[in-house]
Amino acid sequence: MLRSALARCSARPSAAAARALTARRAPISAVSALSARFYSPPSNLDKSAITGRVIDVLKTFNKGSEVAADKVSAASSFQKDLGLDSLDIVEFIVAVEQEFSIEIPDKVADDLKTIGQTVEYIKNETDAS
Amino acid sequence: MAVAPTRLQVLALYKQFIKNSKQFNNYNFREYFLRRSRESFRANVALQKPEEVARAFADAKEELGVLKRQAIISQMYTFDKLVVEPLDSQKHTPSPTGV
Repeated sequence: MLRSALARCSARPSAAAARALTARRAPISAVSALSARFYSPPSNLDKSAITGRVIDVLKTFNKGSEVAADKVSAASSFQKDLGLDSLDIVEFIVAVEQEFSIEIPDKVADDLKTIGQTVEYIKNETDAS
Repeated sequence: MAVAPTRLQVLALYKQFIKNSKQFNNYNFREYFLRRSRESFRANVALQKPEEVARAFADAKEELGVLKRQAIISQMYTFDKLVVEPLDSQKHTPSPTGV
């Protein structure tokens, strides 16, 4: 989350600074040194690890104890298989956001119907940790 | 006069309630507000009439304001952890037994 926010904020000022520098002396090496930023690499969470953590979150959040353990698999649907209603799903999504330090937009969250879809979304989220 | 909120709007409001309730530093307050948010939304699950839904939505919005303020005030103080609280509530490791 922080990385993308930083990239957004810094894109314009650094470009302006680079332009100012090239206009004065055109030291190409200095410009590239200035614009080099050292971020941690995008997280490469492995799919099975994400699934494990998502299922752990599912078992420990408020209604988790009521979820039938034998029905939990990547394909299980929150509503049909696990018996969660829309309010429960919102709570689950908040717990997942906390666990992976990400923010899932409401519109996307509404489309996440199964554990597999949730895992897939987290996998594509480079800021997840 | 008042327009009934959409399903997404209600769910977004509920998310705000849950998120802000979790901000409380004090265990007792945190659990109370989580419980209260859940109960108040569940109590209104069956509302059908648009004006009733709109009224409940407006009331909840005002309460969210109170909740946000109180959560911030709670963060100005430190509270000792109670014995019932896990020491590290964030980032639990997957259970060794696997999935």
